[in-house]
Amino acid sequence: MTKYEEITFSTDIYNILVPIGKEVAEVVNHSGINSGVAYIITKHTTTGITVNEKLECLEDDILENLGSIFPEDETYYHARFLKSYGAMAGNPTGHLKAMVTGNHAVFPVVNGKIALGKAQEIYLAEFDGPQNRTVMISILGE
Amino acid sequence: MIIDMHVSAAFIEGEDLNEKQLQYCQKQTGLYKTEELEVEYLKTLTRVSKVDKLCLLPLDLKTIHKGNLGSNEKVAKLVENNPDFFIGFASVDPHREDAVEILEEAFEKLKLSGLKLHPSHQKFYPNDEYMDKIYEVCLKYNKPIIFHSGMSPRPQVLTKYSHPLQFEEVAAKYPNLRICLSHFGWPWVKEVCMLMLKYKNVYTDTSFLYFDNPKEIYHQFFEVEIGPHWIDRSLRHQVMFASDEPRLEQHRMIAAIRNMDWRESTKKMILGENAIAFLQGGTTYD
Repeated sequence: MTKYEEITFSTDIYNILVPIGKEVAEVVNHSGINSGVAYIITKHTTTGITVNEKLECLEDDILENLGSIFPEDETYYHARFLKSYGAMAGNPTGHLKAMVTGNHAVFPVVNGKIALGKAQEIYLAEFDGPQNRTVMISILGE
Repeated sequence: MIIDMHVSAAFIEGEDLNEKQLQYCQKQTGLYKTEELEVEYLKTLTRVSKVDKLCLLPLDLKTIHKGNLGSNEKVAKLVENNPDFFIGFASVDPHREDAVEILEEAFEKLKLSGLKLHPSHQKFYPNDEYMDKIYEVCLKYNKPIIFHSGMSPRPQVLTKYSHPLQFEEVAAKYPNLRICLSHFGWPWVKEVCMLMLKYKNVYTDTSFLYFDNPKEIYHQFFEVEIGPHWIDRSLRHQVMFASDEPRLEQHRMIAAIRNMDWRESTKKMILGENAIAFLQGGTTYD
């Protein structure tokens, strides 16, 4: 059996880690799948899905270090006008940071619930906010 | 008070923005992947950018392109519902037979704050004789005009109508009419500087970003193409901050303006004080 659902989040800061574990757990809880696997996937190219411990110190460290790897002031090729959008491509750092976090997380579904470790939180990583962002959840099992 | 003087009304939520109208706006502006923008989203965006107010610009394209990029009524409604957040401009297609009536209604009944005109998209030259009646309505009601000037990335529009030099006769003939040559007339930034130096009723805005990133393009055009002190010493009362959302990038552009090597008082003028002077009229500076 397969279940699919989308959740939309409105981010309100340029770069932020948004905890989404609670919302994902609710989708799994009412999916009707008892045993299987849940995929949590972002629909965008300047956001990521990542897993870490939900501590403000770690959230700051993650964002600051990604910012050091991909500084806003660096010269990027992806800083030019895109005719297909009719708009500027001004978000190279968002694309590059999203490459580091990756676009998805995978967790087992056991006894009808998502099996997260005690310290684990699932984050939607926003790297080009504020925007409305969609996370896809696909659950496979029985 | 920080004001963004150039935000398109086309994609902002409203009763008239159905699927057909959204597609019309995408096709006319070339913003093919831009979707409906909620007012709440714009409020969040401005919080991030530390901007207080947005000036909404519609565009009446009735005769040539059979539609509009936001109507005067839509803008008036948005302002009515969000008076502390939006400043609303009117638009009128100057080829309409009832152009004067439409404009008078926009100022009198809808209480809109100025007029937006786009010579390239609406296909007229600013110094065409039939434009005089439009300018005289603006003078009568003490309302400023924001003209598109310079290149427009919109498809099916020609730049020739909006070259900054096309506006000199208007500036000279109507010294009491405040006009903004938006986008700094890009790429004719130097020509706009000439016009602002000569005509104190000419303003411009910072909404150009067609190459590189905001920091790089502002450096190129404000510190290399023109003298690095021209704005700070001579033109600081006539430049207004604007982003051209949703085409460009408000939060990165305003960060670049805030980091320019200008005196702080100049930045304060560009970020808001000049917009208030442009909207209300008043003192001009030597």
